[in-house]
Amino acid sequence: PKVGSRRNGRSGARKSARRIPKGVIHVQASFNNTIVTVTDVRGRVISWSSAGTCGFRGTRRGTPFAAQTAAGNAIRAVVDQGMQRAEVMIKGPGLGRDGALRAIRRSGILFRFVRDVTPMPHNGCRPPKKRRV
Amino acid sequence: MPQVLLHHHFPITTVNLRPSSFLTLKPTPQIHLRSEPTRAATIKCMANPRRVAMVAKQIRRELSDMLLTDKVLQYAVLPEAALGADRYLSSVTTISDVEVSADLQVVKVYVSVFGDERGKEIALAGLKSKAKYIRSMLGKRMKLRLTPQIRFIEDESLERGSRVIAILDKIKAEKSIAADEDEEESEFSDSPQDDRDWEDDDPDEDIIYVK
Repeated sequence: PKVGSRRNGRSGARKSARRIPKGVIHVQASFNNTIVTVTDVRGRVISWSSAGTCGFRGTRRGTPFAAQTAAGNAIRAVVDQGMQRAEVMIKGPGLGRDGALRAIRRSGILFRFVRDVTPMPHNGCRPPKKRRV
Repeated sequence: MPQVLLHHHFPITTVNLRPSSFLTLKPTPQIHLRSEPTRAATIKCMANPRRVAMVAKQIRRELSDMLLTDKVLQYAVLPEAALGADRYLSSVTTISDVEVSADLQVVKVYVSVFGDERGKEIALAGLKSKAKYIRSMLGKRMKLRLTPQIRFIEDESLERGSRVIAILDKIKAEKSIAADEDEEESEFSDSPQDDRDWEDDDPDEDIIYVK
């Protein structure tokens, strides 16, 4: 394990100078927030941004406009590194799905596939109790 | 004329409750009939607005969950999933808003679809065809006295907002390019900036009217 951590420490210095033409954008859209993470194809995170870090607080984090700004922020940091094509993975319900997708299309990155990777149990853990309205 | 109609209509109360010209002709019988407790028409009770908001939020959660989990709904929205497209989607459907009427009988669901024109039509048509199925599933999941009627409406507000932001970004980019050119001329820095601000206001107004 110690050897592995040393290797990661060294690759951290190399990460900032890397040029990645292809990457993966993960969008986790819950009802109250949206988190946009940009990683490379293997899954190592390059940059991330969320509606909360963009300055929205409270109920405004869940809005699609907040998702658009979060996606814009995350991609701006990556476009400088020369990413042209991306694959988008969407997780969860929420308005962030739509908003972030539109922001990604607006930013000019070509995305080939949109995948939905919401975690689906094959009937595993017991879900929380039903909300009574 | 009014007497003949009263004989034909079995629920007498409903005739009087509807605002029509007959109300002005016969004021006294209506007061008697309105005090009758028996009503054959639907029960109307106005719920607490806080409860209406809670029900709307819960319906939104349930519908979004159904869209994600339920196989039948997914096949209705995206026919390619039936062929085994395995999560490579051509269009993403999101429920952007749910409006419930004050008596919890009618639910308007605003659906936003990301994708091309054909995908939008297919998604909305699929949802509308499964409206009864969705209503029954909602009744099973939620404990409500009367499961409301569900109507699907296409929501274009997200698209419009995205277009507005794109235009604003374009204007900002042009403004920054013009600002870079004008930085060399320092004497005229004030008035060109004022002109540019005024020019920026006009395109914004155009955007608001363009729908």
